[in-house]
Amino acid sequence: MPHICIGFEVHQPYRLNRMFSPDSKVKKKDLFDHYFDSLNREILLRVVDKCYDPATKLILEKLDEGFACSFSMSGILIEQLEKWSRDTLSLFEEVARHKNTEMIGQTYYHSIASCFADKTEFREQVTLHSELMHDLFGVRPTIFENTEFTFNNDVAATIRDMGFAGIFTEGVDRILGWRSPNHLYTCRDIPVLLRNTKLSDDIAFRFANRTWDRYPLTADTYAHWIASSSGDIINVFLDYETFGEHFWQETGIFDFLRALPEELSKRDVGMILPSQVVSRYSPVGDIDVRETISWADLEKDTSAWMGNDRQQTAFQAVQSARAYAVNKPLWRYLQTSDHFYYMASKYGTCGEVHIYFSHHEAEDAFQTYMNVIADYESRNIRNMKNRKSAKILRTLSPEQAFHFACPTGFIGHTAYNLDQFEELLCFIPPDSLNYHQERGDFARWITDVLDDPELAERIGGLTERHDLLSVIQERRELLWSHLK
Amino acid sequence: MYAERVGGLARAATHLAETLVTQGHDVHFFTRGAIPDQTIKGVSYHYCQPSGKNIVEYCDSMSASMVDQFKRCDTPRRFDFLHFHDWHPVQALHHLQDRNTILTFHSTEYGRFGNQFGDWWEFKEISGKEWYGGLIAKRVTAVSATLKKEVMWLYNVPDEKCDVVPNGVVPREFRAAVDPGEVKRSYGIHPCAPLILFIGRLVYQKGPDLLIEAIRKVCQHRWDAQVVVAGEGGMRQFLEERAKNLPVNFVGYIPDSEYVRLLNAADIIVIPSRNEPFGLVLLEAWSAEKCVVASNVGGLSENIDSFENGIKVDVDPESLAWGINMMIDEPETAGALGKRGRIKVDRLFLWDPIVRGLTDTYARTVA
Repeated sequence: MPHICIGFEVHQPYRLNRMFSPDSKVKKKDLFDHYFDSLNREILLRVVDKCYDPATKLILEKLDEGFACSFSMSGILIEQLEKWSRDTLSLFEEVARHKNTEMIGQTYYHSIASCFADKTEFREQVTLHSELMHDLFGVRPTIFENTEFTFNNDVAATIRDMGFAGIFTEGVDRILGWRSPNHLYTCRDIPVLLRNTKLSDDIAFRFANRTWDRYPLTADTYAHWIASSSGDIINVFLDYETFGEHFWQETGIFDFLRALPEELSKRDVGMILPSQVVSRYSPVGDIDVRETISWADLEKDTSAWMGNDRQQTAFQAVQSARAYAVNKPLWRYLQTSDHFYYMASKYGTCGEVHIYFSHHEAEDAFQTYMNVIADYESRNIRNMKNRKSAKILRTLSPEQAFHFACPTGFIGHTAYNLDQFEELLCFIPPDSLNYHQERGDFARWITDVLDDPELAERIGGLTERHDLLSVIQERRELLWSHLK
Repeated sequence: MYAERVGGLARAATHLAETLVTQGHDVHFFTRGAIPDQTIKGVSYHYCQPSGKNIVEYCDSMSASMVDQFKRCDTPRRFDFLHFHDWHPVQALHHLQDRNTILTFHSTEYGRFGNQFGDWWEFKEISGKEWYGGLIAKRVTAVSATLKKEVMWLYNVPDEKCDVVPNGVVPREFRAAVDPGEVKRSYGIHPCAPLILFIGRLVYQKGPDLLIEAIRKVCQHRWDAQVVVAGEGGMRQFLEERAKNLPVNFVGYIPDSEYVRLLNAADIIVIPSRNEPFGLVLLEAWSAEKCVVASNVGGLSENIDSFENGIKVDVDPESLAWGINMMIDEPETAGALGKRGRIKVDRLFLWDPIVRGLTDTYARTVA
């Protein structure tokens, strides 16, 4: 009979200020409140009230009776608890120090940094989180869970090199093929625990679904499913907010949680912690994960954060903002995956899930994000060594960006910085390119907005796409070399 | 190599060449043009200016110049593989037949005439060249399984000699964040009216007449439906006559940027072709995450999974109208189908993996 290994991801982002508009009068020390929404406190207190307090109290009770589970808490959630709900943090401290729990590592900022080409930032955020866990709870995580289970060979190798003993990810069918997620695997020589998608989602998504043929799900039935599964371990990993927030108390979710330990022990299902899984079982096989997978939506890939052009534009912007990151924490708050999640455009049930979690519309979310990044970079330019190059390469706000058009109107492509301008030049239709060059729009934008008259002059008379591209590329590479 | 600006061939051949370069190959591209030789994105282009009284003589003259240019480039290095596209350079293929040659069919003369045999001399001459090319090339590729079957049937190319290498697409060229309402308004169409787009040559093969007849039925179902027909062709006058009392806007030939705007503003893209060896419009619509209603023929039939990423209908107005009506009534479903089409593009129709498949074909010429 398999063991069950239960884990919770606990996280709240700092949502961006929906009303943000650049204001040069705002002082540096007030920037945080300028960029982030006052709603954050409100939402946190609501979640504390509905989920964190009642669920954690319940779990503390059950831990003494032999229940075991692991927690992966983001650093920015802990910051918010410290500011606005210290009592809740004390509850988590008590849980964390209990012998039947284990704290799991993640990135401090719950960020998309693992997707950056350069893994330095990712490693720094993992270390920051480990230190936080040590300072606050007196433990150093040995098992890692990347933001929303995003995972690939590179992440595995990076985490292995940082000395972790194991890593979680999703048991994605297309990676596993005929194999079962209920065993320990390895990837790049680090043990991998795979989340059982079906048994996890039975609680996380289907629990209160009245159209589900197994509704209502009872602890008794669920324990039976676990007991009759085959394999070594069933990894059930959930958003902690499932309890009381996604499913309100009225759905009976707390009663389910309360009854589950007893029902499991009735059927002799053992509870196990991730580090025990890694030490007790030996891997049955190796997985090779070239694409990036995650636990999100039906696609189980990064499309929830980087699926559309908006999201990719924002991702590219935050990645290249590294050179401008004089104030690192602010830059890092902007890397939190949730910002990208709000910009998604999805259909069907996954789309509904996105809307539920978002405090504003996808397009607004994107505009706000770009405005904040633009403001952040332009403020930091003053403190940089090579201000001239930094200004030319900076990311722009939607009003300053270059919108490609043809005589009849906008053609749907917008360049927010010189890097993107070059990239889009490869894609835009030839007639749009000619239209802008005849009017001298490129040169005007490069002079007036980017402030690079030298480049503007060099591209002035060019009509061939590849000539334009090679001049811009050369200039861009030179300017970036000043910022490195 | 050779590309002629007809349909998607020039674009396809250019992307093939550029992708081969990014994968570490050295590529020389022989084509026609009145400009000096140049290198773009690592591809060396060699141009020639052929002449001739008719299309066949013109292509023979072009082949002769290409062979001369090729021989100049062939020493001191020696090209490993020679890839020819369509019948136009078959004469060059003939002169270089001892080398490792590959011939790609993008269509056949039979297909271009709407699945009919012609009895005029060009038809016979061109078909003859297609047959001869297929005979002497070391390997043959076709852009879809349907076209492969067609080539095997018409020209007796053996199955084991012929591979399917589909066309690819660069999705970012077609996906754009335009405001559909604004674009519709610029055509005098209400922002909320469902917009149906047809793009292609107005010729029998592409079935625009089927669309017009189908729209008659669509209008009985939805008074507010609007159609934009983009493209030119011999049938235009006839079609305009037929569409007199229908909400159909003939916009003629449109520049690429206008196409991208329309593509992203449309609610449904219709491909009513009678014969379609591949159907590039499908990949373009999918790139823009648009729902397609298409005839169940050729490459369209192979690549669309009905009700998964598009709707396949019979080659007849009744069936076409049924598909269009269903998708106008369920915009949510239409959106989801388009979205899944884009996923299929990202999995199967990007140039990089396609060119890897092509290099496998190259390897087979020497195996």
